[in-house]
Amino acid sequence: MRYFLTKHLSLVVLFTLLFNVVCDAKATDVKAIEQVNSREALEQVLAQHKGEVVYLDFWASWCVPCRKSFPWMNAIQAKYQSKGFSVISVNLDANYNLAQKFLVENPASFTVIYDPKGKIAKHFAIQGMPSSMLIGRDGKIKQRHTGFFTKKIPEYQHEIELLLSK
Amino acid sequence: MNTGHKIKLALIVPLIATASGCTSLGVEPWERDLLAKDAMSLTSSPIDSALDDHIYFSKEASSGGKGFGGGGCGCN
Amino acid sequence: MKTEKTNIKAALTIATAALLGGNTVAHAETTAAKEDNSWEFDSAFLFYSETDRVSASEVILNAKKSFEDDEILNLKLTVDALTGASANGAVAQPTVQTFTRPSGNGQYDIAPGDTPLDDTFHDTRVQLNAQWTQAVADNLTASGGVHISKEYDYLSLGVNGNIAMDFDRKNSTVSLGFSHFQDTFTPEGGIPKPFASMLIGDSSAPTWDDEFAKTRLGSDDDKTTTDLLLGFTQVINRRMIMQFNYSYSMVDGYLTDPFKILTIVDDNGIAQDYVYESRPDSRVKQSIYAQSLYHFDTNVLDVSYRYMWDDGEITSHTIDSRFTIPLSDSFSRESYIQPHFRFYQQSAADFYQPFILASEPLPVFASADYRIGEMTAFTIGLKYGLLVNNGHELSFRLEYYRQTPTDAGFDEPGVLKEVDLYPSVDAMIAQVSYSF
Repeated sequence: MRYFLTKHLSLVVLFTLLFNVVCDAKATDVKAIEQVNSREALEQVLAQHKGEVVYLDFWASWCVPCRKSFPWMNAIQAKYQSKGFSVISVNLDANYNLAQKFLVENPASFTVIYDPKGKIAKHFAIQGMPSSMLIGRDGKIKQRHTGFFTKKIPEYQHEIELLLSK
Repeated sequence: MNTGHKIKLALIVPLIATASGCTSLGVEPWERDLLAKDAMSLTSSPIDSALDDHIYFSKEASSGGKGFGGGGCGCN
Repeated sequence: MKTEKTNIKAALTIATAALLGGNTVAHAETTAAKEDNSWEFDSAFLFYSETDRVSASEVILNAKKSFEDDEILNLKLTVDALTGASANGAVAQPTVQTFTRPSGNGQYDIAPGDTPLDDTFHDTRVQLNAQWTQAVADNLTASGGVHISKEYDYLSLGVNGNIAMDFDRKNSTVSLGFSHFQDTFTPEGGIPKPFASMLIGDSSAPTWDDEFAKTRLGSDDDKTTTDLLLGFTQVINRRMIMQFNYSYSMVDGYLTDPFKILTIVDDNGIAQDYVYESRPDSRVKQSIYAQSLYHFDTNVLDVSYRYMWDDGEITSHTIDSRFTIPLSDSFSRESYIQPHFRFYQQSAADFYQPFILASEPLPVFASADYRIGEMTAFTIGLKYGLLVNNGHELSFRLEYYRQTPTDAGFDEPGVLKEVDLYPSVDAMIAQVSYSF
């Protein structure tokens, strides 16, 4: 009998707790150092690369496929830079230190803009991690990709070359 | 109502209340930093889980019920 | 915890066979490795020991290889060895009792007042699992695997298949799983006839073999198990995720334990005879399961509840909880402790009875195996893990498991009031794991 009551009481308490926790505000407890408004920072960088084809990549330290994409992004930055091409990446880590730790293990030869509150990601309605977008010379978004697949690298490169030829 | 039905109700009612009481469930794809951690995976140690399941299956009359799928960083 | 963060494409499970047959659901969780085409290994050694009863050692070696784009091959080798004594189902008596070993070769004596334990159990089992997981479309992951397990008297073969579908930017996942096992049991001494009297005498007598054979039905029998699982996982917020599952399991075939007996007692509780048990040849189990994970500032709470019910009147409740506490970097190593508490309670099967009264007719099915009787159990433990050598994890786990069988409402005639019909079982669990 005691077991019965204890068990049911603890279940009720457990679920009441869960109920309260669930309806908490989402993601407002993110601590981050944001010196410059991230969207402004992106606008400034894009303005610097006006007339170029831009590969805009969204990554975070906890995203495993991002680790695979970095060597390739370094490679295309080197390969196509002279034709008017740039890789610009947006880091979405809530914790700046984790992003730095990732960059030590996976160095980037391309620009990194810090967006810890996800304002840029929200503006572009990013659907998954990682995400990338190809911006043509006219400044318009030509391609969007969700996820990074090594099997699709030839496809990604073909898209870049197509835009570079314009 | 027998105990079995009471249990089922105790599980389902809060679930529906929870789901309908909150306007949105889930996070944006870039907000999964904590969910991506090992400690937040549904089976944080598959080896411990396999060893324990083996013990409890041998010594008790119940087994299984646990699942798979979902959670984590949600990448690719 | 590893330095590389894990990308959990889909955590997909496969089932392993238990020591005495049947199936459990073990987990071969699939996570992407740090680089393509690299192997990740997990090894563990577990020692399980009950006070005065069964001891078991188990070694697991798991190898996982990630291919391009989240295709994962998981191979697992499990070896376990069992020794020690198990309750044979008979009740304690105020006098010495003699029983025949399951093989028919030899007898053993039990002291007055002691719970009869049979110590002829020692067996070694080897199990191999292979599982392949890959994405088949955007937001759709499939997995399939095979299982083979062999011990001296038992063979288990199984297959499993699962799919997981993601919705709403992968905040919701629906999963469907299926597994099927085919087991063959060839117990030493053969399959006993249900309710046949245990032959007790001199195993070396010339008439023994013939007499013993008369208590046997055949040399082997089999069992099939089919499991279906339906699951739903939902990300609640940045700190919390929940999972809800429903499972359905059908077992058909030989479900009796050929090594277990029941005592037939008279109205004074004195043993008159020992007979082999008999269980129904099918069992349907269903369960509902709910799990919740919550990330506080640094600690993580994992709580789950399972309710199981079957067609033999067994119902059970399981509450399992773990709290992961990362420790500050002492000796500049990442480490954590994880206390664990589990509570379990089950009701008795409708064919469970601790003994048979000689004055009543023989039941259709009966078993005195405490593991299908009414019982409460709890486990309390602690795990300590730390990162060593370049991101490898070493962990230690120590747990205490106590099972307390309880009286399911059977009258205790005569001398049975003076003996312990429901002895508790205490066990220690110690484990070392290394991932590299």
